[in-house]
Amino acid sequence: MLPPPFSADFLNRLEVLRLRTRKEVLSNRPGAYASPRRGMSLEFADYRKYSPGDDPRYVDWGIFARSDRLYVRLFREEVDLFAYVFIDTSASMGFPSPREKFIPACNIALALSYVVLANHDHVRLHALSEANPASPFYRGRNRILDLIDFTAMLSPAGAPDLGASLGKQLKNIHRPGKAILVSDFIVPPESYRHALNLLRAFNLDIATVQVLSRVEVDPPFAGELRLADSETPEELNLRWDDATRRAYRERLERHNRELKSYCHQSGIRYSLYVSDEELSDFVLKTLPAMGLFK
Amino acid sequence: MEFLNPAALYSLLLLPVLLIAHLIRRRPQRVYFSSLLLMREFAAGTSGVRSGVPPIFFLHLLLLTLLLLALAEPALTSRAVNIALVLDNSASMQAVDDGQSRFQAALAEAGKILRGLPAGARVDLYALAPHLARIGEAGLRPNDALKRAAALKPLDVGEGTVDHGAELSQLAREGDYARLYFVTDHPAEGQSTTLRVITVGRSQNNLALTSLQVERAGLDAPRLEARVEVRSFSNAEEKFQLNLKAGGKIIATRAYTIAPGKSVDASFDAIPAHPFYEAEIAADDGLPLDNRRFAVAPPTDGIKILAISPRPGGLDSLRAIPGVEAQIIAPEAYRKGNFAPHAVEIFQYSAPAALPDASALFILPPPQNPLVRVADGAASPIVTGWREGHPLTRYINFSLFRPSYARPLKLGPSGQAVIDGVDGALAVALEQDNRRYVALGFDPLPFLGQRNLPMSIFTLNLLQWLSSAQTPALTTGMPLNINLRPGDSLFRTNGDKVEPQTAALFQGIYQVGAGATRYLAVNFDNAAESDLRSSTPIRISEAPGADGDRPLAALLSPYLLAIALALLLLEWFINPRPAGKAA
Repeated sequence: MLPPPFSADFLNRLEVLRLRTRKEVLSNRPGAYASPRRGMSLEFADYRKYSPGDDPRYVDWGIFARSDRLYVRLFREEVDLFAYVFIDTSASMGFPSPREKFIPACNIALALSYVVLANHDHVRLHALSEANPASPFYRGRNRILDLIDFTAMLSPAGAPDLGASLGKQLKNIHRPGKAILVSDFIVPPESYRHALNLLRAFNLDIATVQVLSRVEVDPPFAGELRLADSETPEELNLRWDDATRRAYRERLERHNRELKSYCHQSGIRYSLYVSDEELSDFVLKTLPAMGLFK
Repeated sequence: MEFLNPAALYSLLLLPVLLIAHLIRRRPQRVYFSSLLLMREFAAGTSGVRSGVPPIFFLHLLLLTLLLLALAEPALTSRAVNIALVLDNSASMQAVDDGQSRFQAALAEAGKILRGLPAGARVDLYALAPHLARIGEAGLRPNDALKRAAALKPLDVGEGTVDHGAELSQLAREGDYARLYFVTDHPAEGQSTTLRVITVGRSQNNLALTSLQVERAGLDAPRLEARVEVRSFSNAEEKFQLNLKAGGKIIATRAYTIAPGKSVDASFDAIPAHPFYEAEIAADDGLPLDNRRFAVAPPTDGIKILAISPRPGGLDSLRAIPGVEAQIIAPEAYRKGNFAPHAVEIFQYSAPAALPDASALFILPPPQNPLVRVADGAASPIVTGWREGHPLTRYINFSLFRPSYARPLKLGPSGQAVIDGVDGALAVALEQDNRRYVALGFDPLPFLGQRNLPMSIFTLNLLQWLSSAQTPALTTGMPLNINLRPGDSLFRTNGDKVEPQTAALFQGIYQVGAGATRYLAVNFDNAAESDLRSSTPIRISEAPGADGDRPLAALLSPYLLAIALALLLLEWFINPRPAGKAA
């Protein structure tokens, strides 16, 4: 029995999706994703002069008839995909409660993982925390249960640096593939830029999902406040009124705009999910619209 | 401007509490947020938590000040404010709480009230005991009233069963008092704008000496015996030492343990002869007053009896009783007055026109007698009942008590049946004005000694009970019916002269006439006052029109309250309420 929102209907609709990659991927197993290597797919790639030993079935007899030279047709190799889903498990993901932010973030990661599993590709979940746990590679839709068990063990805590955590996880990644980073990204721009650059350096095709709770988008504060950071001992005294509320919203929009702009410039897909939205709508409508799925 | 309730001005000290409340309220609420990254910039731009107090504080300050001033009841009046101060000076105010008597505490409270009155106030000082009465002249200045109050002492007198609430309300109406303060150890129930009850004292455990009887062991026995009863008004078991004193010296002492709410009887036999005795409880309890009790020794000489009978021979047997001196005369001689005063008079088959001045026994009185109505007689009457515990019925086996002839007695307006027969009472007893009267429907004489033991015991009981009326028990607060002869005075044992009215208010031993040998024992005896665990509450009810007599136009409190209400409405509109609870 899968937890909500993973109903049978939702899973059926996920199974028709397939992750889109902008980069060629490497693998040894045949699949549906383009590889830089030449292979046996139906998609033509190039010509090469015939060499003794080449399979005469690939000789382009039309060119031979026109130029009296032997060329063989080369085809792209199509391999399966290795997807890496990174979940931010810092303490800020538990605000205002795990149910309102962290669990929706995990559900997004699981939904994307199920898309990969349903296409018989490989997926692995990475928790960006101080301990940096990661699941094994899973393949096949039945392994969604293992991934659910993995996310159930996670809880938001601590204040790990996004780049540093990601760097430790990337040491164990040896194949290029699809990287999906799920985080609130409420970190200094240098921090998320460092993290995303690390992913880029590993030649991964990157997508980011920013998850925010409604309380973070529109804090229901009033009056004199002593705001305490959930990750650091920092505290701020604030008088929360309409002007403060406006200033905060503008600051959040600017922060998100900068993140989105950086992702756009870096060839990274970006999407924002506010946790009170319907998850199925986000996965089945918003993410396809931004080009995450084929 | 004056304040009718100036003590309420102390409540203005609460105003700093309002400032503290505002400062506490303005302390920022601590709220967790995911990250303060986005708030640092504009947090620096705002002033953060503002220092000082908001303007609404001053509105609250004004509102609270007005309310507290209204409590003090300011009045713009040129006429003198009439105040009545009633001090409870009853016996229970002698109870000691934490080293201070309740009366001292009441004086301290009275001092606070009087010192807080405006200069033009006029005070009528009243004392509650022995009955509510004004002390000194009316319209005292507060300082003079304070001096008068300080000179008061609590009396050894209990309170009557008067409804103090109604009595004081009536006093307030009749005296046209703006305020009547009653300082007492009673709690108050209810409220009144005029009557204010200030309660002092607290619940305490107490032991009380409720009885001290010194009697001769027998009619002719020179030995004296004392019986003492101690009652517990305590919620716990108490230990105490009981001392019996004579002439200021302890002649006997015993230790006892008494259970809560119970009583202990002690008997001291063969005590040495002395004119008077004192019993004392050595215990650390609430009320020292009822730890002492006094008694006067009964006369040690024989009982002198004047016997009147148309058949004097039937009374000769009286002379056979040890310790009895009987003078027997005929009714005609009695009517002529040819006899000396006697302690007891016995009328056999005869009766005077009115009750005599001495204790008297009427044996088979004629129908025309001042005590009872007499019915037709019958032979061999049957005793159907008797009063248990009465001194006349002690030691008698009524199954063997068989008079040969009796005439039933019908009770008059007073008196009580001691022995009952089939058709009416066989013996009637009456106590009146320190004298005792007994009417018998049968003849206990002649005195046959051991040959008719029940009747002989009854006869001896009769003589002893009638003769013991010579030393009546006097209680504080009751009039002293001691028949002082002209020129006689009362003296304390230390020689101080005392007015009879004063002697009735303080317990102790009093001497009748300087150098005389007649003593009186006056004792405090009031169980309600001795029980310090719970006092009867004073029920106060607002009398209709109680405010009608007061100078309402001069009172500013209604206007202050109206302004406060307006400010409250203003505050309701302008004070911003928090929109919601932060996450």
